[in-house]
Amino acid sequence: MQNLRRATQGIFLLIFVFLFLQTESKGADRLGYPVKLFLDFDPLIFITTILSAHTVVKALCFSLIVMIATAILGRVFCGWVCPLGTLNHIMGSLKKRRSDTMNRDWYRVKYYILIFLVVSSLFTLQIVGIMDPISLLIRSLSISVYPLFSYTIRSVFDTIYDLHPAGIVDISESIYDLLKKGILSFNQPFFNQGVFIGLIFFIILGLNLLERRFWCRYLCPLGALLGILSRYSLLKRSVSEGCNECGSCASVCQGSASPDKREDWKSAECLYCWNCENVCPQDTVRFGFFKKGESADIDLGRRRMVTAMLSGALAVPLLRTTPLSKSNISSPKLIRPPGALEEKEFLKRCVKCGECMKVCITNGLQPTFLEAGIEGIWSPVLVPVIGYCEFRCTLCGQVCPTGAIKELEIKEKKEVKIGLAMIDKSRCLPYAHATPCIVCEEVCPTPKKAIWFESAKVKNRLGMETVIQQPRVDLELCIGCGICETKCPVKSRPAIYVTSIGESRSKQNQLLLS
Amino acid sequence: MDRREFLRLTVISGVGLFLPCNMSSFFRTADASENTRLVVAKGESPSKITRAAIDAFGGIKHFIGRGDIVVIKPNIGWDRLPEHAANTNPEVVAEVVRLCFEAGAKKVKVFDRSVNDPRRCYVQSGIAESAKALGAEVKYVDDRKFKEMKLNGQVLKTWPLYTEIFEADKVINIPIAKHHGLAKITMAMKNWMGVMGGSRRQIHQKLDQSLVDISLAIKPTLTVLDAVRILVANGPQGGSLADVRRLNTVIVGMDQVAVDAFGATLFGMKGSDIGYIRIAAEAGLGTMDLSKINIKRITV
Repeated sequence: MQNLRRATQGIFLLIFVFLFLQTESKGADRLGYPVKLFLDFDPLIFITTILSAHTVVKALCFSLIVMIATAILGRVFCGWVCPLGTLNHIMGSLKKRRSDTMNRDWYRVKYYILIFLVVSSLFTLQIVGIMDPISLLIRSLSISVYPLFSYTIRSVFDTIYDLHPAGIVDISESIYDLLKKGILSFNQPFFNQGVFIGLIFFIILGLNLLERRFWCRYLCPLGALLGILSRYSLLKRSVSEGCNECGSCASVCQGSASPDKREDWKSAECLYCWNCENVCPQDTVRFGFFKKGESADIDLGRRRMVTAMLSGALAVPLLRTTPLSKSNISSPKLIRPPGALEEKEFLKRCVKCGECMKVCITNGLQPTFLEAGIEGIWSPVLVPVIGYCEFRCTLCGQVCPTGAIKELEIKEKKEVKIGLAMIDKSRCLPYAHATPCIVCEEVCPTPKKAIWFESAKVKNRLGMETVIQQPRVDLELCIGCGICETKCPVKSRPAIYVTSIGESRSKQNQLLLS
Repeated sequence: MDRREFLRLTVISGVGLFLPCNMSSFFRTADASENTRLVVAKGESPSKITRAAIDAFGGIKHFIGRGDIVVIKPNIGWDRLPEHAANTNPEVVAEVVRLCFEAGAKKVKVFDRSVNDPRRCYVQSGIAESAKALGAEVKYVDDRKFKEMKLNGQVLKTWPLYTEIFEADKVINIPIAKHHGLAKITMAMKNWMGVMGGSRRQIHQKLDQSLVDISLAIKPTLTVLDAVRILVANGPQGGSLADVRRLNTVIVGMDQVAVDAFGATLFGMKGSDIGYIRIAAEAGLGTMDLSKINIKRITV
């Protein structure tokens, strides 16, 4: 059974990694793989989205399967399926020493976290993505681990290429070509906060050395939710009379289930890893569909529960009393991806999973830090200096698990404004320096160009008159895609730049009378 | 070809350009049949007119030899569909690939340094699929293969260029004729921007001379101008079918200047109306006066 469990974990981890790697454009309009599948199966996102946004996202109904399975089989998702759980499991196996028992009652913490998150989502604050394991894993991989991996591999092959040792380059280049086809990203990704998000992830992995599956035992809100759902599960563990309480099982338990103490056995903490059955020297442990099963109740303590609930409720006004919540204030730099809902609705849905940033074809979608308040931390923002929004690309909407970014048809997408471009005449070559430059106009993607030229007569230093084309932005046509800013030759601070004003999704953040 | 040899050839061809006009034109036309300097083919099928034009220009075997490594340089700059006339027609590209293999080419490479995302450009243009199907190597541009090269031009002294262009035995330029905001129209000579590395957007500051500087450095074996569809406004990427005209025409020549000068007539202009064509003709890169050259017109 243990080997079956290991194989299952491996398969799900492989599927997860495969789907992660496929979260990248191949040039077609659609990705061709259901890359957000693991998020679709996440009951924590399903429930909190219903509470915060009052909507049932169709794709997320897959998570009902996980809920039903958990109600019948217990937390098999944690022990057999969850890719972060598997990574924690692997990391935990590096810890050889018997686990300390002193931390044992920390397992309650995850329930408080769950209560906090659910209550805050009830009051429309959706910050579950910060702690949801699937969101956390995809975000960490997208923003930090995968760029790091990609950078390392590229550096190695580029160094070999540059040194050009005879005979080796051909081999290394053909390996490099294979890697590029299979596992490397098309372009090296660069993300703001790669270090920050990466550190959190590596700390989570590192905690396994303190205690195996530290995250799963003490912190994971999804684990807590599944623990509650597993309360009446039919798949149970039984220990027969022969048990002499030798404690062998305690040291191999992946959860905090106290398998060695009969009266203290917590089925909600069991991950169904089958380790205790395997290790028992007396062969007394069995898993099966037994009628009778004893399990200690998880006592969270009334005061602590109330505290968690109140904190969840109070977090809402605490995080919302920022100037950004005033209706007449919009952050100029907060350029949301096309199809993003109106900001308040957007934040009620975005789970910061980073799928949109992973798939963004130009690397322009970046995680916010405080641009959208703490509530919106790690939500997507377009940074045109890094990358623009490709005119005929709709991938971010395709991969968004909660509909925070609507899935758009190409035809719709081309009409959506995410901001407006403005020209900085003090830096623009034709304006400030009487030098020809038409790059913004050339790259402007709208069929009738949003950038047009006005021919102006200007004099140079010697007083000679020349005619020069000066770019102007047609605010009706501009969609704010930012390609003009990305490609502007005035690189350090582009002479044309996009801000969020005019974005279709907002009623307030408008400029033109219409 | 290494840098030293590239420089040697540059000098030799530079000397060649200083030969008397008649003589250089004698060398150029010597290859093509019946002194034909341009072939203009018209017809419904892009692939048929491409084949017919090259056949009428002396046949592909005249240009491509057995075992040659051929680089085909279409315009794959934009994330647009073939009907938008922003990229070279995929059927025209495919037909040239087919011809090269028929002539015994060992390898045919097709690439361009796109402006939009290369993946989307390669796929949406239809070029990657049609060229790959025929066995061509269609790779994305690899940044490491740009090498700083001496151009010694009026504006561009050196620039990073794509080495595969210079390593190939033969180079075939297959641009599309399109409107352009600054150059007025873009065709063969401007298509070389697709082998420029670095911050090529800067050359717009002195575009016409820069295009000539770069065109002097690259010696295409053949130029095939795609005018199956041309884009007459909102170029070079367009996006509206209202700006597209279907001309069902392909122009083949060895003289880039003559090809571009003929291309200008498709937009109701003369070669001399276009800055870079004028400068190129003055620099001796080719002939822009169409009355002085033999143009063969065929309909398929």
